[in-house]
Amino acid sequence: MSATIASPRWVRRIGGISRRSPTLAAGVFIILGFAAMALLAPWITPFDPELAQSRNVLAAPGGAHLMGTDGNGMDVFSRVIAGARWAFGIAIPAVLVGLLAGVPLGLYTGYRGGWFDEIAMRFFDALRVFPSIILALAVVAAAGPSLLNVVLVIGFLDSPVFARVVRAEVLALRHSTFVESAVSAGNPTWRILFVHILPNALQGAMAQTAVRAAWAVRISATLAFLGVGIQPPTPEWGAMIRQGAEYLVTGQWWVGVFPGIALILMVLGLNMLGDGLQDLLDPRRKAATR
Amino acid sequence: MTAPVLEVEGLVKHFDVSRQVKVHAVNGVSFSIREGETLGVVGESGSGKSTIGRSVIRLLAPTGGTIRFRGRDITNLPESACRPLRAEMQMVFQDPWSALNPRIRIGDLIAEPLKLHTKLSAAERRDRVEALAIRVRLTPELLTRYPAELSGGQLQRVCIARAIATSPKLIVLDEPTSSLDLSVRAGILDLLAELKAETGAAMMFISHDLGTVKLISDRILVLYLGSVVEYAPTAQVFADAAHPYSQALMSAHLPADPDAVLKRHVLQGEIPSPINLPPGCHFASRCPVAVPRCRTETPPLDPVAGDAAHQAACLRITEGANRIPALEDAHG
Repeated sequence: MSATIASPRWVRRIGGISRRSPTLAAGVFIILGFAAMALLAPWITPFDPELAQSRNVLAAPGGAHLMGTDGNGMDVFSRVIAGARWAFGIAIPAVLVGLLAGVPLGLYTGYRGGWFDEIAMRFFDALRVFPSIILALAVVAAAGPSLLNVVLVIGFLDSPVFARVVRAEVLALRHSTFVESAVSAGNPTWRILFVHILPNALQGAMAQTAVRAAWAVRISATLAFLGVGIQPPTPEWGAMIRQGAEYLVTGQWWVGVFPGIALILMVLGLNMLGDGLQDLLDPRRKAATR
Repeated sequence: MTAPVLEVEGLVKHFDVSRQVKVHAVNGVSFSIREGETLGVVGESGSGKSTIGRSVIRLLAPTGGTIRFRGRDITNLPESACRPLRAEMQMVFQDPWSALNPRIRIGDLIAEPLKLHTKLSAAERRDRVEALAIRVRLTPELLTRYPAELSGGQLQRVCIARAIATSPKLIVLDEPTSSLDLSVRAGILDLLAELKAETGAAMMFISHDLGTVKLISDRILVLYLGSVVEYAPTAQVFADAAHPYSQALMSAHLPADPDAVLKRHVLQGEIPSPINLPPGCHFASRCPVAVPRCRTETPPLDPVAGDAAHQAACLRITEGANRIPALEDAHG
């Protein structure tokens, strides 16, 4: 008992959240694990992830190579750890691009309404008709498989999602009394949008970020697997799975399976985090699911 | 006699539901408010009270008529041109819980009009905000709090402080006490009465509660379905309402004397839809003294018994047949 009373407030708060939402706690735990891997990669990888040891090709897991080596004689364990850097390095900027493009658009179309809103929403609908993976494939194939292109494509494909959730909240807020009161106080439009509406319209978009990050990780891996994204020997999970696929039939399963597990865990963790965040930030959703 | 701060002539506001269907919220309303005067606007919900309040400070664009603010026609002014005028005309809303941005501290909310309309330095602004808080009887400690931490009465005081921050010439109060507890109401009304005497601002007090209107208003405008049915000094409306609707409304008002014999008239019939307004007098369908010509002729707003200050729109006044019977003896 005395331990509970003595523990600081934030410890009790975390305890409370994890009891209310085990999903969120598990997601946070997994993602923190990957984040630590990504941050500490240069110090914790036993080998240079891009060091080819030509005398040690396709070594089975065990011994010095915990997860074996791949067809170039690169240490799979080191590459899986280094791959976390690429996953975050694509997901975080891609979500930021999506937010930067989508949030202002949703804010403006929602507030302004009329024909501009109508055209923007129909354009988003048109985008949604195409499977996003095909669209991403086409754009990256045309623009070249650089990291920047992959990030920009994923970000822009994501922006309608953010635009829509922000727009929905702006539509509700536009006619709220406090916005009316802001108008009657004499606020110019930009202040109404950014000071009064935006801070109250971001919750939905924030709750979406983790789920969209999961999607970004998945899409970038898919692009790499199909050979149009990040290219080997860069330690990107998708690219590694592509390499491993070649050896699966010949029995060297470890080349592709370990990065595959890492990818699954990361996407799962982000989705759990996202689900938990949506429950936490959107009380209406919570009421609907319970 | 001081010139009117606000002059409204033939104000019309229609809301388009679809291309064919229009809601006739306000149908040709005229009135004026002088400096230091408070006009009470009463009527049932849907009578157009709030629409008029929002139109005169140009939160809504009127469909027709003219609105003159301090002699200047502001009827069709674009929003950008209205903005500098907003320092001089302010509004207090009905529901203080939703009238304040939940993510801004109380002090910054009160400072906002000053920030927008004055060139005060940050330090001067802080002093002024503190003075305003004290003026509306809020403890300055509350200034660092967020709206969710305050009670309804405190929030309404914040709204009032915001409204008087730039010393406006016109304040529209849209049912400022109706969502508050009875015990809190009296305090807000006292504050408004003090401010009325102190600031000399013209006020428009919108309410469906006759008791509060009676306390604070100099004149009263009675609305029915977006039209004025009676426009008279407060005492006259309460003592000697001419229009049958005003009489029914007044009979529903409980006097402070518990021993008074209540002669209540409960209106029968349906309120016509503001989408399809009937011809003639809009009140005719519920009026106990209506005659057939009430349903065809539109009654003009005429002086009652030659008194220009007391106007009513009823055809039966000149016939002396405008008194409604007190049907129900409701005691206690």
